[in-house]
Amino acid sequence: MAQEAHGAIYDLLAVRGVSRRDFLKYCSYVAAMLGLSEAAAPQIAAAVEAGARGKLKPALWLNGGSCSGCTESMAQVDSPDVATVVLELLSVNYFETIMAAAGDHAEKAMDDTIEAGGYLLIYEGAVMTGEDGNTLLINGKKGKDILQKAAEKADAILAVGACAVDGGWVYAHPNPAGGIGVQSYLDTVKVATPVVNLPCCPTSPEWIVAMVVQWLLVAEDDPATFLAKTELKTRTYKDSVTGNNVTLNYPAYIVGSTIHDNCPRRGHFENGEFVTEFGSEEEAKGYCLYKMGCKGPQTYTQCPITRWNRSVSWCVNSGAPCIGCGSLNWVDNNAPFFKRLSSMQLGGGVGNVQPGTVGAIVGGVAAAGLLAHGLGMKAAGRIGDGPPMETAKAYDRKKMAKKGGDK
Amino acid sequence: MSSQAHYREAHPLVFVITHWINLICMIMLAFSGFYIHYPFFDGFMGVARGMHFVAMFVILINLVFRIIAAFFVKTAVDLGSREVDTDIKNWLPQAKNRHQFFETVKYYLFMRKEGVISAKYGSLQKIAYLATIPLTFIQAYTGFALYGPTADWGFFFGGTEWVGGEMNMRIIHYFIMWVFIVFTMIHAYLANVYNFAPSKIIFLWKETEH
Repeated sequence: MAQEAHGAIYDLLAVRGVSRRDFLKYCSYVAAMLGLSEAAAPQIAAAVEAGARGKLKPALWLNGGSCSGCTESMAQVDSPDVATVVLELLSVNYFETIMAAAGDHAEKAMDDTIEAGGYLLIYEGAVMTGEDGNTLLINGKKGKDILQKAAEKADAILAVGACAVDGGWVYAHPNPAGGIGVQSYLDTVKVATPVVNLPCCPTSPEWIVAMVVQWLLVAEDDPATFLAKTELKTRTYKDSVTGNNVTLNYPAYIVGSTIHDNCPRRGHFENGEFVTEFGSEEEAKGYCLYKMGCKGPQTYTQCPITRWNRSVSWCVNSGAPCIGCGSLNWVDNNAPFFKRLSSMQLGGGVGNVQPGTVGAIVGGVAAAGLLAHGLGMKAAGRIGDGPPMETAKAYDRKKMAKKGGDK
Repeated sequence: MSSQAHYREAHPLVFVITHWINLICMIMLAFSGFYIHYPFFDGFMGVARGMHFVAMFVILINLVFRIIAAFFVKTAVDLGSREVDTDIKNWLPQAKNRHQFFETVKYYLFMRKEGVISAKYGSLQKIAYLATIPLTFIQAYTGFALYGPTADWGFFFGGTEWVGGEMNMRIIHYFIMWVFIVFTMIHAYLANVYNFAPSKIIFLWKETEH
């Protein structure tokens, strides 16, 4: 990825065995993802071609508290495809996981890029703020400081993957490392560089491509218009580490509808055909995974449309219930993954309890209480005609007695 | 208390009907809600969701109607009485209920022998019957926040974000249903603890003389 790309786009494509037809098809696919009509495909192709002819756009790919899964998601393409070619239009000057350079050379490449400014910053992983940022040190520097420095001079930031969005699973309870999302951190250090968030664990490489193309499209005129020219949807959440309310920008098309709405198994859901057990006949029939804890109904991403690995498959297609990695605070909100509702984290040695258990206990206690009370009422002889009635309110009787005493 | 007669003035026909609608809708909502929560048999999801949405609209319209009707329909001022007054007066706390809250609690905890003086409804009853109104609206709100066509309306989506996402909203919706179930259990128990005369009047509109 960090290699230099030479020549025009079609040479590149030919070398990689991608036809012009494939390329244009891909451009219209990207257009759809950007919420543009297919008519925008030639424009996208032109932007990509211009990118290939001209100077490469500089980019930095920084890793915070991450598992490099998003890098894997992008790098694990089994054969060279258009996405790779498009991403090679970026001159990725620093990319810890896959760059050839190491040590001082690598650091210098990053410093030079930051100094020059005008680059696209791709950030993968959570921002580690725990122990004053000492939970993540790179080359003796705090990860959060590196992000701040790089963010200040970037044109735009892509926060890729759930961790970069809101801290992801690093943010999950109890979060000793203080992992938070990029937007949340930049809010606290007051860096106003626009951030576009790409959800999921890992994020989809196609979404990164769509946003890179979007950036190439707008960078031609004015990178400052990146946010304004991108159709966005916002989500707000309260960051439990910083205590701030954070507003996140997502590409509208990516978070526009639930997984459930676009799910290929949706028909089985409506028919009431469910998998109750893995390895069962129902599973072999491809029935709905709702009872297996599928979080598709409350996860707003378009995974069923983009899919993974060049649109070959995705989680639900391959037989696993959605675990809701595209939602905010997704681990705490969705664990246990194979249960319908998340467990409530009750303290005081009670541990994690399913809402259904709590409901049944409440109902059971109420029923037992009423039964006991009924027996008491019977013992007190109130059943039938009810109790003898008071002739005056206790309050009035007391008052009268007091008055009488005063006289 | 229940040694009194139960006359139709206590529950005019229109409220017998709204009560029936409430009961049927609540059973449909709880049943279909449980099914949507966890489908315990096959082949019913489409019906369960349809049932949930229809019953939800019916019960809301019924509740609004019941509240408006309270300002126009006259009901008995006391149990065993044929004297009537505007229903809302009998529904809200009255002079007769003053100073009787703790006495009522003491009575039900067997800390006093005599029944307490109350109006048509006792202090606890009035609190419970009034509390079910906002509770129904809160339940409707949490439901609409999860309901596809309305979930992204700012009014509902803001609440979803405030509680920390749809999963939490779903759990709140689920727990409020348990509050309704427990309310219904206590309500049915206390109404009929002495004898079934109250059920005869509210369901069958059949008067009982004592």
